[in-house]
This record gives sequence, structure tokens and C-alpha cells, in this order.
Amino acid sequence: MFKNEEMEINLGPQHPSTHGVLRVKLHLDGETVTKCTPIIGYLHRGVEKICENQTYFQGQVWTDRMDYVASISNNLGWAEGVEKLFGIEVPRRAKYIRTMLTEQNRLASHLLWLATHALDIGAMTVFLYAFREREYLLDLFEAFCGARLTTTAFRIGGLREDLPPGFIKSAQAFQDRFLPCIDEYEELLTENRIWKKRTVGVAKLNAEDCIALGVTGPVLRAAGVPYDIRKAFPNAAYAEMDFEIPTRPEADTYARYLVRLAEMRQSHRIIQQCIEGLPEGPVMAKIPKILRSEVNEVYHPIEAPKGELGYYFVGEKGGTMPYRMHVRAPSFVNLQALSKMTEGRLLADVIAAIGTLDVVLGEIDR
Amino acid sequence: MSFLRTLIPFDIAAGLTVTGRYFGKVFFSANRKKVRTRIKHFTQEYPEVPVNLQPRFRGRLTLLKDEQGEIKCVCCLACEKICPTQVITIEKGKKEGRKMPFPVQYDFEMERCIFCEFCVESCGFDSIILNHQFELAAYNREDFSIGMEGLGQNMFEPSPVGKYSVAED
Repeated sequence: MFKNEEMEINLGPQHPSTHGVLRVKLHLDGETVTKCTPIIGYLHRGVEKICENQTYFQGQVWTDRMDYVASISNNLGWAEGVEKLFGIEVPRRAKYIRTMLTEQNRLASHLLWLATHALDIGAMTVFLYAFREREYLLDLFEAFCGARLTTTAFRIGGLREDLPPGFIKSAQAFQDRFLPCIDEYEELLTENRIWKKRTVGVAKLNAEDCIALGVTGPVLRAAGVPYDIRKAFPNAAYAEMDFEIPTRPEADTYARYLVRLAEMRQSHRIIQQCIEGLPEGPVMAKIPKILRSEVNEVYHPIEAPKGELGYYFVGEKGGTMPYRMHVRAPSFVNLQALSKMTEGRLLADVIAAIGTLDVVLGEIDR
Repeated sequence: MSFLRTLIPFDIAAGLTVTGRYFGKVFFSANRKKVRTRIKHFTQEYPEVPVNLQPRFRGRLTLLKDEQGEIKCVCCLACEKICPTQVITIEKGKKEGRKMPFPVQYDFEMERCIFCEFCVESCGFDSIILNHQFELAAYNREDFSIGMEGLGQNMFEPSPVGKYSVAED
């Protein structure tokens, strides 16, 4: 009467908690996952190939559309990568403004992660509170560059324009009201027994597995490895900033939640230092109108909210376009860890594992 | 003690106080309207109340005219070259009584436009801007092809607002 066999089901691509169009093929024995295969490619647009057919100036607009919740981080990687390829030195004020905006974007990205991750697991309230603060940040981006999500914030050699009047004032207003907001999230979640039951000990991935799979970002830091590109290979103005790398030894979903919340506090600190120490001066370096490269190759990593975001450029002799452009997308590499995290665990933990990896499908498929 | 802690959900009560605090701020006050303005509301009643946009907002591409009503564009094709999605097509022409070249045709395919403002940045004559329009949805594909002439939908006038997106009643 009862057959004892494995069942094969699809989670996604239209499932609301797969954060986009991720399809996960699951083999289930009862409610235990025996095999888990993420299937990607539903959002493939060929960004790398498009960028090879566009000039270095034009290519930046495609980076917005990769990780669309952290587009300023993507812009930073592109701009700094090209500047490294051509040896352009950016003015100090531009570096500070870049750092400030990137950290604000990290806050926006982590807030979106917190909102949707809590919503997936079943905590609705945090979703509303986190989106309230994110709204404020998106208004700041709109004031700076005119768009809320697809920002195209930086230019090669600096910034297009200086900060708009009143930007520092509203950024400071956000700084003043943000720390009590993090306390609010903590009050709602950290000690909550339902939250703890769903996250403590779920989707474990220890440090060796993290390093073997190439996982970076908060997932690696929650496994106790204090690796952060901002400290290891400082870019923008991070070398002048005073901040810590939060780590946790537990390597589970709860630890990643705590690491990300601690990271938000550190980002808040960095923004405060940027506002206070903002130097005067120009925001754009003198660069030629047409950039012609030599035969050269460059890899430039930055710390995106999801992990190590690397841009790899190969220049052609006299070419105005990159001969080859490759993106090391953190979500793409981190997604490899999904099967390791979930195999042998329950089906409901797969949702928590996808949420805790903080994947954005626009970046995975590119 | 731990038995009591399991029985009485203090941890959930702590979370509920946060929710209750916000609820109480609005609900138990005599003048609710006053409280609403004090706690800044982020929800905007958008179709009824117009949205506040920042001055740098990037909307639809618009051609500008100078004081004499002449088109400022001189067909240098800088915007056409910089555009990452090739949405601008300009046809050069001549007009009597004007030294500079004159755009006979300035076509803008809005369906592919990604609103990056590179065209405005590249323009050395300040002859184009992105206006503050964002209600650009249309039912027909042809409505996205904007040229210099057209009924209500051309390069000089903003797109008809309220025709598609805001219901009038």
C-alpha cells in the first residue's frame, strides 16, 4: 500500500522564497533531502559578452543590473577595475564619497536580506521595519545619482558630480536614527524562540568547507574566518577607516544573522567616519576622452555585501573595449554551498539555507 | 526557573512590545493626524498624491529649444555614440538661416532606454535633458517610438501623464 521510494520535486523557479528564478531540484525521502541540485540560467542576459562589445564608459550600466539590490558596489568594482587597468588615480574626496555610498548600499542590501529572510522563515514584522529604513537609503541614492536601484553612480576617474546640497544633512539624519532601528530588529528576532528554532544549527557549513567551495562574505565570516577584502586588499578609502570584522564560530544560520547585524553596525561606523572626515577638493581626475588600453590584464576584487566581487579585464592593444571581461560573482560561488548545507536535512531548512546565503539571481545568471 | 521561562514566552513578549509601541503611538493619542506627521510615514498615497522626486531624477529624454524657439541640437552625434543601448537615431539636415546642422529627424526608442543619462552627460550644447517623468507605460509598442513630430508624444513635450497610469474618477 505504501511505497517507499524517493520523490523528486522542483522548488522554484516561481517559488516566492527562492529570491528570483532559482530552481532547486530536490530528492526527498519523506521530508529529508537526500540530493539537492540548484539549476540556474533563467535570468541569463550575457552581461559579460555585452560588455566586450561596449566601451569602458558604457559597460558600467550593465553592472547595475547584475546584483540589483547592491548596484553601487557593482559600480565601484567596475570603476576601480578600469582605473587599475589604466592607472588612473582618483581624487581623495571622490574616494570618500564612494566609500560612503558603498557602505550605505551595504546597509540597504543587508536590510533587504533581513526583511526577506525573516519573511521566508515566518517573521513578518521585521519585513516592514527593515523596508522603512531601506526607503530612506534609496531616497539618498536618488538624490545623489537620480535613480533608486539602477544607479550608475560612479564614473571612471571619480564621480560625475559632487554631492547634491543637503545630502550630508540627510545622511546624518539617517545615521542618527539608524542605530535604535537595529536594536529594534534585535529585540524582535535575536531572542525570539521561534526564530531560534528555525535558525540555530540549521544549514551548517564549517570553515574548511567554506574555503574549499570558495564561499566568501558573511557566510565565511560566520564560520570564524576573519576574511574581508576591505581589510585584506583595501580599496577606495577603506585603508583610512577604523572598523572591525565581526566573526562568529558557530557557522549556522543564526550566526550569519548575527554577523550581518554586526556588519550593519560597522557600516554605520564607516559612514560616520566618511561624513566627519570628508575632504574638500575635486571629485574627478583628468582622464582622456577615449581610453585606449595596452595589452594588459587586471583582476580587481571588492567586498560586496554578498562576498568577494571580482572584475577581470583583459585589454587589447589600442582597443576601446575590453577584450575579455569576467565577473566573479559572490552569489554564484556561494550557491555551490547549497547542496552541502541541505543534504540530509529537512525540506523546510532548504528555505532557510537559500535565505541565509543571500543570493540574487541577477548576479548568478548575469 | 528555566521551566517558567519556557512556559511564559518572555522573548515573544519582548518582540510584541516593539509592535505594540508603534501601535500605541498612533492609536492611543487624541490627535492621530498630529502623531502621523511626527512619526514620519514612508508610505505615500501615490496615485492620489504626486510623488516627491529629487532634482537629479532621471526620467524621459527631452529635446530642448532656446529662447527663439530654435532647436538647440547641432547633430554632433555624441549622444548617439555614447548610448549603451543605441536608442537614439539622428538624421542630419540643413535649414535656411542657420549655420549649424539641424536635426531633420531625432528618433528615440524608449522601449530600450535604460535611463542612464550618458547622453545628457556627453552633450556639449545642453540641448537634451532627462525630465522628471516616470509614468511611461503604454499599451502599444508604437507609443514608445518617439520622434520630433507626433500627437502629444514627441521629443519636446513630456509624455501624456495620467492617460494610462492614473485613473481619473
